[in-house]
Amino acid sequence: MTEQIDKALAREYEAGFVSDVESETFEPGLDESVIQRISEMKGEPEWMLEWRLSAFREWLEMEEPDWALVDYPKIDFQAISYYSAPKSMKDKPKSLDEVDPELLRTYEKLGIPLIEQQMLAGIAVDAVFDSVSVVTTFRDKLEEAGVIFCPISEAIKKHPELVKKYLGSVVAKKDNYYAALNCAVFTDGSFVYIPKGTRCPMELSTYFRINEQNTGQFERTLIIADEGSHVSYLEGCTAPQRDENQLHAAVVELVAMDNAEIKYSTVQNWYPGDENGKGGIYNFVTKRGICHTSAKISWTQVETGSAVTWKYPSCILKGDNSVGEFYSVALTRGRQQADTGTKMIHIGKNTKSTIIAKGISAGKSNGSYRGLVRMNPGADGARNFTQCDSLLIGDQCGAHTFPYVESRNPSAIIEHEATTSKVSDEQMFLCRQRGLDPEKAVSMIVNGFCKEVFKELPMEFAVEAGKLLEISLEGSVG
Amino acid sequence: MSEWLESAITRARGINDWLAPKRAHALELLSTTKWPTRKTEAWRYTPLRSVERSTAKVIKDVVALSPVDIAGLSAIELVFVNGKFDASQLTKILPEGLSISLGQTLENAQQAQALNAFSTIKPERHLFGLVNDALAQDVVVVSVAEGVEIAQPIRISSLLSHGAESHTRVQVSLAAGSRLAVIEDVQASGDSLNTAFVEYDVASNAYLEHYRFALQTGTNVAIGGSHFNLHDHAKMHSTIVGFGSDLSRLDTDIIHAGQFADAKLNAMYLLDGKELFDLHATVEHAMPNGTTEENVRCIVADRARAVFNGRIHIHRDAQKTLAELNNRNLLMSNTAEINTKPELEIYADDVKCAHGATVAQIDKQALYYLQTRGVSRSKAQVMLNFGFINELIDLMPNAALAEWIRPIIRERFSQMEVK
Amino acid sequence: MSNTKSLLTIKDLHASVEEKQIIKGLDLDIKPGEVHAIMGPNGAGKSTLGYVLSGRDGYSVESGSVTLNGEDLLEMETEDRARAGLFLAFQYPVEIPGVSNLEFLKASVDAQREARGEDAISSADFLKEAKAACKQVNLPVAFLKRGVNEGFSGGEKKRNELMQMLLLKPKLCILDETDSGLDIDALQVVAEGVNSQRSADRSFIVVTHYQRLLDYIKPDFVHVLSDGKIVKSGDASLALELEAQGYAWLQKEPAEDELEG
Ligand SMILES: Nc1ncnc2c1ncn2[C@@H]1O[C@H](COP(=O)(O)OP(=O)(O)OP(=O)(O)O)[C@@H](O)[C@H]1O
Ligand SMILES: [Mg+2]
Repeated sequence: MTEQIDKALAREYEAGFVSDVESETFEPGLDESVIQRISEMKGEPEWMLEWRLSAFREWLEMEEPDWALVDYPKIDFQAISYYSAPKSMKDKPKSLDEVDPELLRTYEKLGIPLIEQQMLAGIAVDAVFDSVSVVTTFRDKLEEAGVIFCPISEAIKKHPELVKKYLGSVVAKKDNYYAALNCAVFTDGSFVYIPKGTRCPMELSTYFRINEQNTGQFERTLIIADEGSHVSYLEGCTAPQRDENQLHAAVVELVAMDNAEIKYSTVQNWYPGDENGKGGIYNFVTKRGICHTSAKISWTQVETGSAVTWKYPSCILKGDNSVGEFYSVALTRGRQQADTGTKMIHIGKNTKSTIIAKGISAGKSNGSYRGLVRMNPGADGARNFTQCDSLLIGDQCGAHTFPYVESRNPSAIIEHEATTSKVSDEQMFLCRQRGLDPEKAVSMIVNGFCKEVFKELPMEFAVEAGKLLEISLEGSVG
Repeated sequence: MSEWLESAITRARGINDWLAPKRAHALELLSTTKWPTRKTEAWRYTPLRSVERSTAKVIKDVVALSPVDIAGLSAIELVFVNGKFDASQLTKILPEGLSISLGQTLENAQQAQALNAFSTIKPERHLFGLVNDALAQDVVVVSVAEGVEIAQPIRISSLLSHGAESHTRVQVSLAAGSRLAVIEDVQASGDSLNTAFVEYDVASNAYLEHYRFALQTGTNVAIGGSHFNLHDHAKMHSTIVGFGSDLSRLDTDIIHAGQFADAKLNAMYLLDGKELFDLHATVEHAMPNGTTEENVRCIVADRARAVFNGRIHIHRDAQKTLAELNNRNLLMSNTAEINTKPELEIYADDVKCAHGATVAQIDKQALYYLQTRGVSRSKAQVMLNFGFINELIDLMPNAALAEWIRPIIRERFSQMEVK
Repeated sequence: MSNTKSLLTIKDLHASVEEKQIIKGLDLDIKPGEVHAIMGPNGAGKSTLGYVLSGRDGYSVESGSVTLNGEDLLEMETEDRARAGLFLAFQYPVEIPGVSNLEFLKASVDAQREARGEDAISSADFLKEAKAACKQVNLPVAFLKRGVNEGFSGGEKKRNELMQMLLLKPKLCILDETDSGLDIDALQVVAEGVNSQRSADRSFIVVTHYQRLLDYIKPDFVHVLSDGKIVKSGDASLALELEAQGYAWLQKEPAEDELEG
C-alpha cells in the first residue's frame, strides 16, 4: 500500500518549464549600491530609497531564525541576483498588444490567460514575472468602481500618501530577518486599495512567476480595504525546474478598516525540488493583516510547492468584534519541508478566530503546523477554535504540531485540537472494491480530508487546488 | 552565563567523589551552556531572575526537620534535610527485596553499577539537571528485586529550612515484574532553593506508581525532574500536584524504550498570588505498541502564571502507538497567565495521536446565581468547577494520599478569587 | 439450468490471513441468476470469503482457484474485480470523512464505465439515478451530500451499501450480513432491494444469520459454512432446519490439537 502511494507521489512538476525571454538581470550580490540601483530602476522617490536603506541596515544586524523545524544549507545572500526583468519591459507596455508574446504564452501555459476576452469573467490579474509586474488586466473596469489595483512600484509613484502611511505598518521593517531583507530589496508586487463602502466588483489576482536563474523573488503586497469595503484576492505562484535553490521572500500586508473584509487565498506551487531534494524554492514569507473594529480577514492557503516553506499568515485582531480566519492545506512529499501556521493576536473585545490546518506528509518530507493564539488582557469575550489534523502517507515522513496558546484574559475561551491519522487500509479497500484505482482512491480520501479548507476557496481556485493535490498525489499508489 | 551558575560550577569543581566522571561530564556540558533567556525555547515563559537573585546557601549545620504526617499512610521514609540524606529517619526494617542505600556507601560492584546508571535516563538538555549532576550531595540508590511487590510506598522527602540550598538525587530501579510506589515530596520554607531529580528504570512487566507533590509556596525556588525509562510491558501511573512558588519548574520525561509499555500521567496545578509553575512533560515513543495518556489540568488566579509544555515524540519505529494528551485550563483573573504548548512530533504513520488544549473561564453567571441563593462564593466556586480537578484526584491509586490531598486542594481553590 | 455456464466457480480454495488459515478447502459454484445464502457460526470464515474474493490486501490464497465468468479472479487487482462485476456489501462499512457519498458513488460508477469503454455519466443523470436509489432504500436524499458513512447509524450504513449496489449494477453481489442491525422495515427494504435486482444475469451471495431475511429473499441454495468449508448445502428448507436446530449437529468435533493451536 505504502509503496503504491509513494509511486503516486513521484509526480512531474508541470510548471517547471523555462521561458525564453530576454532579461536584464543584476549581477549577484547585495550591498547598499544594489539597493540604490533597484530604487533607481524603479524610478522611486527619495523617501522610498531611504526606507529601503534603513531596513537594509537593520537586516545586517539581524540573525537568520533557526526555530522552525526545517533544515537547509546556509543561504549565501551574495550569490543571489536581486533584480531581473524581461528586456521588453524596459519601456513599460501601455496595453496588452505591446506585451512580449512570449510572456503572454508563459502565463497561458500556466493556465492564466492574460488576454481579457479569454479570461474567466470576474477576475482581474496582475502578472509578476521575476522582478516586475508584466501586466494588470481589467484596470479600467476597476477604476470605475474606484478600486486601485496596480503594481506596487507604480503605487509608490502614484499613490505615495497611501503607501507611506501603510507600508510597513502591519509588518514592521525589522519584524523578522526575511521581512527586513524584503523591505530592502523588494522589486514588485501588487497594491490594492478598496474605497469606503465598496464591494470590489471582481476577484483580484496576482500571479507570480520566477523565471531567471539565481534570482531571488522579493515581492511586496499591500492591500488596504477602507471602511465597510470588501475584497477577495487570489495569489498563485510557480517557478521553473532548476537544480539550484532559489529564494523567495515576500511580505504581504493587509489592512482591514472598520467593518471591512479581506479574503486572501493562496495556491502556492513553487518548484519543490526533485525527489532527492535537489533544487526547489526556499519560500520564506511574512503575511500579516490587521483588523480594525468589526473587520474580518480570512487567509486560505493551499501549499503544495517549495523545497522549504516558512510561512505564518497572521491576524492582529485589534478592533472589537473583529474576526480572523486561517484555513490551510499543506502537502509535502519528496524531501519537502514545510513549517507553516498562523498567529492570532486577540486585542479587541469579542474578537473571534478560527484555525483549520490540514497537513499531509508523504515520501520523506516533513510538515509542521506552528501556531500562536494569544488573548491579551483586554480581549474580553474573545474566542478561538483551532483544529489541526495531520495525515501521514508512508512511514518515512513526519507530521508535527507546535501550537502556542497564551491567555491573559479570564473571559476568553480557547479550544485547540490536533489529531494524526493515515489513509487506512480499510478506506483504500472500500474504494478499490467499488472499482476506483488506487491513485484515485488516495486523492479522493486526501481531498475529503481537506474539504473544510477547500470550501473556503473561491470556486476557480478550489478546482485548481483539488487538481493540484491530485497531480501531487499522482503515482503515490500503484 | 549568570553569576549563580558560575558559582555553582566553581563549587562543583571542588567535589571529588565516586561520581567524579559523571560530574566532570556535566560540568563540561554546563560550561558551554548558555544561560536561558526568553529566547530559549525551554524557558520562554519562565524567567530565571529568582535563581539569579537567590541568596540561598548550602547549610552545613544539622537541622532537625521531619516530613508531615499523612493520615492512613504508612510509608517507608527516605528523608533529605537541606540536601543531606538523613539516615536516622530511614525506616529501619525494609521489606525483603528492597534496598535503599547511599551511593558512596555501596560496595564496589554495586557502586560501579550505580555509577553506570547515573544520569542515563534524565536527558542532558535539562540545564538544572546538569547542575544537579554536578552538585548533588548525597545520591540515594533504591532497587527492587525481580518479581517483588513492595506493598508500602516509599516517600522521598526533601526538606529545606529557610535560606537553604539543596540538590538531591535518587536513582530508582525496578527489576522485571516488580511493583513499587514512590512519593516525591518537597517541603521548603522561604527563600530556599533546591533541585530534586529522580530517575526511574522500570524493567519489563514492572509497575511503578508515582506521585510528585510540589506544594511549597512563597519565595522558594524549586526545580526538578522525574524521568522514567519503560521497558517491554512496563507500566507507570504518575500523579503530579503543584501549587507553585516564586519559581517552580518540573521536567518529566517518559521514555518508551520497550514495546507495549503503558504510561499514565495526571497533573494538576492550582496557582494563586504571584506563583509560577512550569511543567515540561516529554514523552518519547521509541518502540512500537506503546500507550500514553496524559491529563493536565490547571487553575490560575490573581497574578499567577502557569506554563505547560507537553511534547509527544513518536519515533520512526514506534508504529501502533496510542498517545493522547488532554490539557484543560481555568483562568480566574486578567492579571493571571496561561501559556500552554502541546506538541506532537510524529515520524510513524500507523499511530493514533491526539492532543487537545482548552482555556475557559469560571462561569460568572452561575457563580452569581448560586450566591444569590445563599451559597458562599467560595463554596459556589468549588461546586461549579472543582469537579475537573477532582476527577484527577479520583484517579489516584493510593486512597490515603487522595483523601489527604483532596481537602488541601479544595481549600486552596476556594480561596482563589475570581476577578 | 445445470448446462448454463457458471458465473462464479470456487474450487478447493485455501486462504489465510496473518498466517492463520481460515478458508480450508471451499467449493462453490454459482450460475447466473442464482441466489445463494451462506449461513454459519461466528468466525466460520464468511466475511473472510468475501474479502478473499474481492482481493483485500493481507488475505492470501494458498491454493485452489476462483473464476468469474471463466476468468481467473485471483489474478486481478481489487478494482479490476469490481469492474468485472463483483460487489461486496461490507459487514462493517468504513467511514471516509469529507468525501461525499455522491462524489464517491459517481467516481465509482465512472471508473467502472470507463473500464467498459463507456463515457462518464452526466452529473444530472447520475443525480437522478442516485436520488431514485436513495428513495428505494429509504435514505433521505441529504445522505448523498454527507461524507461516506460518516456518522451514519449502523442501519443507515447498511442501506448505504445497498444503495451503492443499486447504482453499480454488479453481476455478483456479496451481501455480508446486510440484514444485521436493521429494524423490521429496513429488513423489507433490503429484501426488496435484492429482489428488485434479481435477474437472469445477476447472482447473489447472501451471508446471513437469520432465517427471517430468507423468508423475503427466496434463495435457490443454502450453504452452511463452518470452519472454513461448506459442510452442508441444500435448498431453502435447510435454513429452516438450521433455525430450529442450530449448527452443532453439522460441526465435527474439533480435534484436540486444533484446540491447542
Ligand atoms: N486479521 C486477522 N488476523 C487473525 N485472524 C483473523 C483476522 N481476520 C479474521 N480473523 C479470524 O478469522 C476467522 C473468520 O473470520 P470471519 O470474519 O470471516 O468470520 P465470519 O464467519 O464472518 O463471522 P461472523 O458471523 O461473526 O461475521 C475468525 O476466527 C477471525 O477471528
Ligand atoms: Mg462476518
